[in-house]
Amino acid sequence: MKALEVKNIIKRFPGVLANDNINLSINKSEIYSIVGENGAGKSTLMKIIYGLYTPTSGEIYVFGKKVKINSSNDAIKLKIGMVHQEFMLIPRFSVTENIVLGHEPRKGMFFDRKVAVKEIKEISDRYGLKVDPLEKVENLPVGIQQRVEILKILRRGAEILIFDEPTAVLTPEEAEDLFKTLSFLRDSGKTIIFISHKLKEVMTISDRIAVLRRGELQGVVYKEKTNEKELARMMVGRDVVLEIPEALVKRGDTITSVRNLTVKNKRGIVGLKDVSFDVHSGEILGIAGVEGNGQSELIDALIGFIKPIGGSIFLSGKKVKLINPRNMRKRGMAYIPEDRKRRGLILPFKIKDNVIMGQHNKRPFSRNGILNDMAIESFAEKKVEEFDIRPRDIYTKAANLSGGTQQKVLLARELSINHNFILASQPTRGLDIGAMEFVYKMLIEEKKRGVAVLLVSLELSEIMGLADRILVLYEGVIIGETKPGETSEEELGLMMLGLKKKERVM
Amino acid sequence: MNNMSLLNSSLSQTMDYAAPILFAALGGVISENAGVVNIALEGIMRFAAFFGVWGAFVSGTPWIGLLWGIVIGIVIGSLHAYITVKWAGDQIVSGVAINVMSMGIITYLLELIFKTTGYSPPVPYFGSSVNRIHLVFLKDIPFLGAFSNLTILVWFAIILTVVMHFVLYRTVLGLRIRSVGENPHAAETLGINVAGIKWFAVIMGSIFAAFGGMALSLGTLSSFTNAMANGKGFIGLAAMIFGKWTPFGAMAASLLFASAQVIQLLLQVAASGFAKGIPLGFYLALPYILTIGALIGVVGRAVAPAADGVPYKKES
Ligand SMILES: Nc1ncnc2c1ncn2[C@@H]1O[C@H](COP(=O)(O)OP(=O)(O)O)[C@@H](O)[C@H]1O
Ligand SMILES: [Mg+2]
Repeated sequence: MKALEVKNIIKRFPGVLANDNINLSINKSEIYSIVGENGAGKSTLMKIIYGLYTPTSGEIYVFGKKVKINSSNDAIKLKIGMVHQEFMLIPRFSVTENIVLGHEPRKGMFFDRKVAVKEIKEISDRYGLKVDPLEKVENLPVGIQQRVEILKILRRGAEILIFDEPTAVLTPEEAEDLFKTLSFLRDSGKTIIFISHKLKEVMTISDRIAVLRRGELQGVVYKEKTNEKELARMMVGRDVVLEIPEALVKRGDTITSVRNLTVKNKRGIVGLKDVSFDVHSGEILGIAGVEGNGQSELIDALIGFIKPIGGSIFLSGKKVKLINPRNMRKRGMAYIPEDRKRRGLILPFKIKDNVIMGQHNKRPFSRNGILNDMAIESFAEKKVEEFDIRPRDIYTKAANLSGGTQQKVLLARELSINHNFILASQPTRGLDIGAMEFVYKMLIEEKKRGVAVLLVSLELSEIMGLADRILVLYEGVIIGETKPGETSEEELGLMMLGLKKKERVM
Repeated sequence: MNNMSLLNSSLSQTMDYAAPILFAALGGVISENAGVVNIALEGIMRFAAFFGVWGAFVSGTPWIGLLWGIVIGIVIGSLHAYITVKWAGDQIVSGVAINVMSMGIITYLLELIFKTTGYSPPVPYFGSSVNRIHLVFLKDIPFLGAFSNLTILVWFAIILTVVMHFVLYRTVLGLRIRSVGENPHAAETLGINVAGIKWFAVIMGSIFAAFGGMALSLGTLSSFTNAMANGKGFIGLAAMIFGKWTPFGAMAASLLFASAQVIQLLLQVAASGFAKGIPLGFYLALPYILTIGALIGVVGRAVAPAADGVPYKKES
């Protein structure tokens, strides 16, 4: 039985054909994955099915019946539920309030909280999704918040569940839990549409996989009959080299040093203790570790957001006396933040304005405080070409770009500022393989130019592939130092969990 | 006057001063909990203060005046909702426009109808001895005595606070209003009529503010003067913030601001010695200085609804 069919769906945005004649046919009780690079049109297609976007043309059939879905209300009535890429939760509301909102149990005009809580307990037991009904959502870890989202749509009787990149925000353990839940839901008769650009995941849980590229359907394959390589080729349109090429560069002088750095984070906890290291010209120093073991404290201190309570930072060989972002930048630091939407770009600004931020007060971009649009535009045109930013239109707002493209804009900006040191914090977070490849290429090129790179990453494969040396952070201290050639992912994993130490020679 | 009746009459006067502020604050509470900032409350108070008097003048009873005031509240509220909800226009600009408009239109109407500049003739009002709510048995009890001789509008402000609390935190409607103010996109995906809720909240809030205007012109006084609202709408918004966007918080803040007003009057009377040399302007400014002081003390901790003031547009 077909749960959902879409026929000849076209969706056109000004300047972009986001969905170009898509045809899909999804069976009941299957996990159907849709993969594609950032910007391939996956979310757009899902939003159409969920009634948030109106398609330019095309038809939708739900359980064999032709339907018009004009609002999420319509979708809910048709038993379609969606867990959005950005959660649709109200942080200040309790779990219960979030789940029942819009369909509240009542006693007269009053909201019947008791019945609501009881109901939540029941469904959470039925599907094995444990939550505390009375807890405020803002106090929950992301994995549990996602559970709340799932419960929300299950309570509304959803038979077709859409997950838009659900693992992007999860830790690996949380992702494992989610996969178990998805299989359980499938086995109890639900239909799952799973969006991702992580091929490993898709190969783990799907029954069938559809591949999108630039708005077009490239094909639908059974999981058993395909492999990651083939999927990658369909996604990107060419062979993808997932391996990172070795780049041997003679390491030069020390560019950046950190001595006995101790940092108290915003919650008042000393998150980084007595950390010292050097980064040399032509070297990528990797910082490995499980999230929350001092990485954010290290980064915030290095970029100057937090004044360390002890220790010192040396940039370009000189001690930085007054630690703030302006001084760090002045001494040659480029910064690639992990959260490009919050710390990276100014989303409502156009590409052209984003790429000159930070240099906006310098010639030729401005003179005596007056911006020189001509210089800005010709600079932006050049960068869009150089970094292959699509669309080429420099007047597009950053907010309307896909994640991969946003990252390219960010790189274009940071790498054109005069720098000899790059602080890269999870530079490929949320990116698809095409964009990842691009970031790796850029970092290696920078290294070859003699730039010093500090790479903080949660992805072991990334660190093993890129770094020349690796430091492992555990509970705010460096628990060991090693080199990719002298260690394995297993050993690194043990060090990250604090189960193994390695002496350092400094 | 003995001490007890001074206490009771001061308290009663405080409530009288607090009522207009509280009405405006409650108007702000409901509107901003649905995510719409309404600084037009000031202008709406002025409009309603005038229309209430006009209605009472024409009919000879303040009740008809009340009705006129409510109607003008709905009309102006609808205008604000039309601009800010229907067209997702800027909420501050719309509010300022309505406030400025209220000045011009009312000055014109005063001349047209009453042939006066800046004030209206006296009309029957809720503050007259016959129209007040007399609870004689409370008269001589400390504190409670303050409630023995209030206007119906003050009572209504008190009742409205309680009702608003229950509506916001105990009813389905309240949950939905708050959800719209926190995250309208999430509410929309759950099938909640975001625009409908916002329209409702803005108009209800405007009606409350209209009551606030009439608490001045048909409650405390019995006529309209052009200086009537005199920033009470804005102080109401300050009370809303100070009260953290909750009805009871707004009530406490309104009482605090009003008591500053009353204390100021008492101080003026009691001033002796060197205090006599302090200019009158200082006493008049005292409540506002206290307001600012109170806000500085609390504003860091004040938490507005997450999507307060953000125009909401449905995705297309
Ligand atoms: N609201 C919108 N307005 C304009 N363009 C959009 C909008 N939403 C998405 N797009 C564009 O449509 C394309 C597909 O985006 P999307 O569906 O989000 O991709 P994916 O989810 O596969 O990463 C992108 O080029 C994106 O920039
Ligand atoms: Mg997407």
